[in-house]
Amino acid sequence: MFQIFNTFLIGVTAGSIYALMAISMVLVWRSTRVVNFAQAGMALLSTYFGYEVIHQVGSYWLALPIAMISGAIVAAVIELVFMRLLLKHSSQGAIASIAPIIATLGLLGLIKSMIGYFWGNQDVSIESPLSNVGFTLGTQTLALSPMKLFILIVVSILVIALTFVFQRTNLGLALRASAYAPEISRLAGIKVDLVRTFGWAVAGAAGGAAGMLQTANGNGALSPDSLEFSLLLAFGFISAVIGGLDSLLGAVLGALLLGLVLAFVLTYIGGSLVFITAFVLLLVVLLIRPAGIISQRAGRRA
Amino acid sequence: MHKFKPSNTSRFLGFVFLGIFLVYLSNTVDELRVYQGATVAMYVVAISSIILLTGYSGQVSLGHGALLAVGGYGAALLRNNFNAPIWLCFAGAVLMAAFWGALLGATAARLSGPYLAGTTLALAVGLPSIANQFKFLGGEQGLIFDIGLPPASLGETFSQYKWFFWIASLTALISMWWLQNLLRSRYGRTWRAVRTQSIAAELAGIHVARSKVLAFTISAGLAGLAGALLSMTISTVSPGAFPLSLSFALATGAVISGVTTLGGVIIGAVTLVAIPEIADSLARRIGASENATINLPGLLVSGLLIVTVLFIPNGPVEQIRQRKMK
Repeated sequence: MFQIFNTFLIGVTAGSIYALMAISMVLVWRSTRVVNFAQAGMALLSTYFGYEVIHQVGSYWLALPIAMISGAIVAAVIELVFMRLLLKHSSQGAIASIAPIIATLGLLGLIKSMIGYFWGNQDVSIESPLSNVGFTLGTQTLALSPMKLFILIVVSILVIALTFVFQRTNLGLALRASAYAPEISRLAGIKVDLVRTFGWAVAGAAGGAAGMLQTANGNGALSPDSLEFSLLLAFGFISAVIGGLDSLLGAVLGALLLGLVLAFVLTYIGGSLVFITAFVLLLVVLLIRPAGIISQRAGRRA
Repeated sequence: MHKFKPSNTSRFLGFVFLGIFLVYLSNTVDELRVYQGATVAMYVVAISSIILLTGYSGQVSLGHGALLAVGGYGAALLRNNFNAPIWLCFAGAVLMAAFWGALLGATAARLSGPYLAGTTLALAVGLPSIANQFKFLGGEQGLIFDIGLPPASLGETFSQYKWFFWIASLTALISMWWLQNLLRSRYGRTWRAVRTQSIAAELAGIHVARSKVLAFTISAGLAGLAGALLSMTISTVSPGAFPLSLSFALATGAVISGVTTLGGVIIGAVTLVAIPEIADSLARRIGASENATINLPGLLVSGLLIVTVLFIPNGPVEQIRQRKMK
């Protein structure tokens, strides 16, 4: 019984970090209809900025917001310079369906090799600012440590803030409108391009937070070829797809579902089946609902 | 518009001459180049499987590394457990991967764009790690795949690498010849119709889902063949030999080749093999620091990829063809 509860806690913590990554995927998908595989690279880069701050100043608490801000700036610049060029050039022919995927993969490689150039390919480490030892309850040790609690709080605040912005402000309305019908939004006076850039910036910030939290939650090691970040990319994307790619709520639900399922498989079946479980889960969800858990339209062509 | 269309016989002769040229080449260049040649041939098969899938049938796969793994493991299992001859190992690799491809394709046909990309990505992350779960797959170390020494009739000086090169090149030539015939047949036309106008194709009586599944199956079979070739050149199969980056590299190669032209496949294959070497000599020439030397290949590949997508999105061969037509 206690083990089930602990597994649940581990699943929720992991899932909440995937949720941030999934949210950034969804934001980019909604604003530009691009699946951004460079998201992992962008998150990695902002985490490196965070590392630099910790290295110089020594404070994780300062590093976290700075990583988020730098993530936002990097993402906005990439959208402004790169994605606009891409959408202008490769929007016809057989390449159109895969050009964005391939281009963001290229971007991922570019960012990784630049990180390798500036910071080296060896591991650097970020120390966890809070204890990773679980709270004790009587004689049992909970799988909830101060660090994990902090992660849950940060993610909850970010998700609530984002939901508020999206559902209750004019900016959120503009974001939703320009994703839904760019031409009409333009006629209604929304600066669609600017709104897109903003969507990317928010996604970049969420990615930066995911990177900082994931690194502090794990063993703290950080390298350009970090497996953790590849997994963050894969699991974030899988969560987003499970959730339907179009909905923030779906992304969060998908991520929590994925985190929980993976945690239970890890505890009760075995570590080597974790990755294939993610695949099977995705497959099952997509076979039942081809457009994700939360999908407004019945079906979608092309 | 009248295009020069060589007949089937002359195409076949072209492949034969290419084969003879490759044999001649393998006798003149040194060992390292012969080994790289075998790798190029492997990439030719692997990239052509992506071109078939993406350029012709319009589906995206980021998980072909996993299908390569299926082929590699299939070949190794046949070799180790039944001591099967090489050609049978390769055939087994093709069948096994095609079987997985058919299963995957049946689901893939229901998905499109990002959903398909996500599923195949999850497969690439997940499938190779299964090897850790089952003992007969050898865990993290993987299995040995030893095709044996070259036959004695080829002479004593005939090296192992040259044998690899011969097998890989012959396999690549045969599969390319078969594939280009297939793409010019009814099936190729059907796939193109489905890719460009799937609704119109459906109205014309084409069974869209079936044609997509078929494309996925054949593509997976080719990927399995490439996996067997890859395992042959490195003599082992292990989860580590099929990382996510392999799947990404294949997609890169396909884009650099031009996704709609099978003929360009050699460009992508040579690029993938040549870039590390070019980067190395470049780094040495400019006397770069250690960090720069390590990261230059990645930088060049990614840069090339981005430049290709931005400026020659349909690939160099298609670009030249279009320019000629103007």
